[in-house]
Amino acid sequence: MAIELGSVQYRYAGSSTAALGPIDLRVDPGRVVGVAGANESGKTTLCLVATGLAPSVIGGRLDGVVRVDGVDAATLKPHELAQRCGMLFQHASTQLSHTTATVFEEIAFGPCNLGLAVDEVIERVWWALRVAGIEPLAARDPVRLSGGQGQLVALASVLALRPRYLILDEPTSELDPAGTRLVTEALTRIVRETGAGILLVEHKTDVLAQIADKVVVLDRGAVALSGPGAEILADPRLAGLGVESPASVRLERAVRASGLEWPAADGAEVIE
Amino acid sequence: MNLLRRWVARQFTTRVIVLMPVAIAINIVLGYTVQSVLKLPVYVDSIGTILVGCVAGPLPGALTGILSNLIWQYAPGIGPGSQIGPFAITAGVIGLLAGVWGQLGLFRPRRGHALNIVAAVVAVVLIGVMALYTYGRAFESPDQFANATFKDPSVFDQSRLFFLGVMVVFVGLVAWALVLRRDVGAVFAISAGLFTGIVAAIISAPVYAFFYGGLSGSGTDAIVAAFRAGGDSLYQATLKQGLLSDPIDKMITTFVVFFLVGSLSRRFVARFPNGEKIVGPEVEAEPVATPEAG
Amino acid sequence: MTVIPRAAAENPGLPEYVIREPSGFYHSLNPATKLCLAALEVVVAFAIPGWLGPGIVLAALLATAAMSRTLRGLMFIGIAALPLVVSIMVVNLFILPGATDPIARLGPLAPTWSGLWFGLMTTARLLAFSSAVALAYLTTPIDDLLADMSRRGLGRRGVFVVGAAVQMVPRTLERVREITDAQRARGMDTEGRIWRRARGLVPLAGPVVFGALAEVEERTMALEARGFTAPGRQTLLRIPADRGIDRVLRRLALAAIAAIAILRITGRMG
Repeated sequence: MAIELGSVQYRYAGSSTAALGPIDLRVDPGRVVGVAGANESGKTTLCLVATGLAPSVIGGRLDGVVRVDGVDAATLKPHELAQRCGMLFQHASTQLSHTTATVFEEIAFGPCNLGLAVDEVIERVWWALRVAGIEPLAARDPVRLSGGQGQLVALASVLALRPRYLILDEPTSELDPAGTRLVTEALTRIVRETGAGILLVEHKTDVLAQIADKVVVLDRGAVALSGPGAEILADPRLAGLGVESPASVRLERAVRASGLEWPAADGAEVIE
Repeated sequence: MNLLRRWVARQFTTRVIVLMPVAIAINIVLGYTVQSVLKLPVYVDSIGTILVGCVAGPLPGALTGILSNLIWQYAPGIGPGSQIGPFAITAGVIGLLAGVWGQLGLFRPRRGHALNIVAAVVAVVLIGVMALYTYGRAFESPDQFANATFKDPSVFDQSRLFFLGVMVVFVGLVAWALVLRRDVGAVFAISAGLFTGIVAAIISAPVYAFFYGGLSGSGTDAIVAAFRAGGDSLYQATLKQGLLSDPIDKMITTFVVFFLVGSLSRRFVARFPNGEKIVGPEVEAEPVATPEAG
Repeated sequence: MTVIPRAAAENPGLPEYVIREPSGFYHSLNPATKLCLAALEVVVAFAIPGWLGPGIVLAALLATAAMSRTLRGLMFIGIAALPLVVSIMVVNLFILPGATDPIARLGPLAPTWSGLWFGLMTTARLLAFSSAVALAYLTTPIDDLLADMSRRGLGRRGVFVVGAAVQMVPRTLERVREITDAQRARGMDTEGRIWRRARGLVPLAGPVVFGALAEVEERTMALEARGFTAPGRQTLLRIPADRGIDRVLRRLALAAIAAIAILRITGRMG
């Protein structure tokens, strides 16, 4: 029960070089896999491949196999994939359907597309609103929300399809710290309550430091580093790969570099 | 029957469905802006329609045109324009034609090979002849209609004047295209625009005459008034005014769309139903970078 | 088809702000009913000869507008149509071919009674037609119209195209305003000669169109990710009411249109 990428290589339509791969990756339910890397390192491509949008919606060529809970993603239609792997993009506004007058109806868009019974739809909408933490926004006009609120609405809209896995492509890149915190908290809540497996691509390594169990660093479409979150984020090779270390790690290095002692993490008091 | 259904389905991919509202909004907003802010005597409310027709096909193009006209009333911030609704038919035909031009590959950039130039000249001659004939017919008075003759000097002078006017614009645009892009394909596109404009004028004249008395509350009414003063029937005066405005407007619009399509990323265009006809077969050596970052 | 007494009846678990039940008799008519009535008004205005047609329609429209508190909206329609009305009156008053009954002679200009009559007639018809359409859309939110058409069989793609287009117009308009302001600050002419103004168009059309098209790719993926292409019928959350009175009105309207058409075609009318 996982998303498994086995020796996956992907080439965009009209391109002669592979944007991604060969790559092996696994996302288990209840775990958060963080992905970091410089621009053009294949992070977005990885998301599109993992959700099955590439190649089914955007074309291109995929070698290797992407399996979702044991089923080959290439055999699934886009709407079937959507119910297994939900995807969240960077820009909140392009994810709105622009056909609904309230956030409630916006979140209901997905379940309505699937043709579920009205009671089921209503139940899912309230559940998604609660888990994403945006119940007060239910009556609002989706077009008039702030960036952070918009992303949460997009998140709830995806949740309403009850996917077992969530794949997020730099969801906080356009958000301020307050919005980023809202999204991070929502993700934590989602993992805790639904046991979903999350693949989170993030530039902001602080976010990864908070919630990622495992971190993978990509470089030119291949895996450069992979391991437990804390370990990888403290790795000195990150800078060379175009990834900025999280603030806590940079603070620790600065403290040590100036000759002071960094207290061990064994319960001793730490100066925050 | 199955072939028909597949032809229809092929034109309405999800990508096209996403493009259509965007194109409709472009139609409405640009049309409104041009009419009110820039105060130009052309409409420019079909850029979206022709774009959709060109990349997606005749049916999406026609629908885009029709819906733009019907939705205009609902557009918040634009308010009711007095010129829409009945013109949905014309807009539909414009989109349909654009789809045909797209399928015929008229929007493809063509370099200046000998064959292309010959073909371009042929196209221009054909269009020129067609236009001349149409203008000649339109400018006859009703009782001369039966004995079509070009010998009456006053009638012919009028038609010649208008025809020249339109041709000047035609040549001007072609020259501009050749200078800017050295692209013989522009000749085809602009010719197609001229044809579309003439057809649009012919179709919309009766609608215009019936619903609005041939007038629009803008500067072109002076032209209609002038023809009416000359004794023309409502329909004739409207047709003549249309034969001046519409071809120019459609030539400009098609010209703009031609350049737009040429400036878009080829990979983007290729994913549309008519994409390959515009871009050519499988494009190689595109940069690996995608529209999105990372 | 079953009668739907109230919009809320079908969907008990929905909050009020989703149901958005309209208030007022005319507003709460089914969208299809209002469209049929508008069609009848247009047909009456054009098919019944003389002043009777437009007269009846305008009177009916004013009464309905007063009743449904949409008089202000109709007033704006009238104001928007003013340039056109002026044009029609002026052109027809002074230039009606074959008119031989002048009102006065003002130098070379000779306004005619026939011209006046024809101009007023055309104006009346035009206003009747525009107002009939305007009344229908002033009293019918686009959501309700789409929901009703959806119930009657319009597929999700049609609903999406129309709904999204309406919402995207204000966004695109704002973008145009931003670009126009920026360009005006850089010296683009909006008042100068025609050639200058034409040149100003391209720098405007370009960014607007490109900006809008740039989102198409991501929007396509987002739609697929929300199950847009799932087979079968879409679930309808909102269903506008369709009451007995709606059926009656629709049938009457369609019958009247048919009757007028037949009378007109067979030449029995005036």
